[in-house]
Amino acid sequence: MYNFISNSSTIQDIIKGLNLTKSLFVSSIIIGEAHIGKKGLISSIFGDLPMVSAKDTEILKDTLQHNNELIITDFEHIQNTPITLLEDKKIIATANYITNQNLIDDIFAFIYHMPSLKDRKEDILYLTDLYITEAQKILSDNNDTDINIDDIDIDLQQNTKSLKSSIYKYILNKSMSKEDIKKSLYNYIYKHIDGNNAYKEFLDIYEEPLIQAGLARYHSQLKLSSILGINRNTLRKKILEHKIDA
Amino acid sequence: MHDIDFQSFIDNDNSPFILFDNNAKILYLNNSAEILLGYVLKSKIYNIALQYAPQNFGVKTTTLYLNYESFSFYAITVGYESEEQIYIRFYHAPKVKQNIKIDTDKLMLTDINLLLEANITLFKSRYKTSLKLLTDPDIPEFKIDQNRFSKLLRKIFDLFAKTKEISITLKFLVGEHIIIDNKHYHIIRLSIISDDTIDNNPKISNIAKECFISYLIQTNSVTLEIPLLID
Repeated sequence: MYNFISNSSTIQDIIKGLNLTKSLFVSSIIIGEAHIGKKGLISSIFGDLPMVSAKDTEILKDTLQHNNELIITDFEHIQNTPITLLEDKKIIATANYITNQNLIDDIFAFIYHMPSLKDRKEDILYLTDLYITEAQKILSDNNDTDINIDDIDIDLQQNTKSLKSSIYKYILNKSMSKEDIKKSLYNYIYKHIDGNNAYKEFLDIYEEPLIQAGLARYHSQLKLSSILGINRNTLRKKILEHKIDA
Repeated sequence: MHDIDFQSFIDNDNSPFILFDNNAKILYLNNSAEILLGYVLKSKIYNIALQYAPQNFGVKTTTLYLNYESFSFYAITVGYESEEQIYIRFYHAPKVKQNIKIDTDKLMLTDINLLLEANITLFKSRYKTSLKLLTDPDIPEFKIDQNRFSKLLRKIFDLFAKTKEISITLKFLVGEHIIIDNKHYHIIRLSIISDDTIDNNPKISNIAKECFISYLIQTNSVTLEIPLLID
């Protein structure tokens, strides 16, 4: 069974409430933004119940007709489903937002509001560590990739989805080989090459990070020009051209 | 025997008990009397006490039907042992709900403490109100529409969303019954009390009726009287 872990006290209360009523014939709904773990939480407690999305009206009707206890996800999409089908059932549901307050109020005994990831500081660090380990296993040959959490541009706009995406991108960038970078560049250039100045435009993709990384590492334009094997004035010109903060 | 504190027994007795001085000033009243005084003037009760007092020092019990809102009593005891103090005690009449048929098919044997705990957990996940809980863990399982009753509790708890603190008491009412469909049932009382004012939700009384529960709301408290349906 799926194991749901959270350090948020509000979510601990929701888990406790759902566990207390697990053996009872009561309907519960969890409402909260997309990608905050609603489905995972419910699966961890009610994993043995059939699960259906309210987006699939016909499958939902069929499942309701054949089951007294079920999980309905995407409850905000419920429509054209007769209320009589929903009555006298044990329904465990999730919704990203509320579309029909009266229906929710009539059907559900327990209405839980699950906080977004940005409001669960305790969970951000835990999930970041979890996704880093997961990404390293999948994307990196070894687990000792040099990781600095402060360097990750963490995005919580879409909760776990964007958090995971930002971490995977970070690990991917850290673990790419020369060949991977070439393939990436090939794909990018193939998709975007156009116009009458492409050589110059696409050279920038290489030149800009080359100088930025070199300056970050050696801190000195004199040293870097020597490493790059170019004249100091040429390097200075390119720094100005790319508006690099030197 | 001298070490027993009898006052706590009277404090928590379901029968209202009030002790007056000879100027109609209340010297003592128990918890149940405090609720009763929300519905009837103390001067009225004092006059009843004088009217039904024994002729000499002592105690006299009189059969007398009294109705105050949801309270109904079938007898009172009035007593005095000095010229300065007089007390009155009320005896609850069995409650009768007529024209109600209980469809037990939808009802399931339930531990009410479990449902209460789940509702308290939901409340705590949403509001910052602090809670005090006094419950009787030995209340037996009884038949209840679990979903409807939980919905009722949720709506009642929501009335207290803006309060700073609430006290929840769940207890078995010894000696009190409710008659539904010609059957006697024991009563469980759930009280939620706050120091702050609460607003009513008109939907609540209908849901309570559907659960065969008496619902009483005051400015700062809610009391449910729940029939202990066993069969």
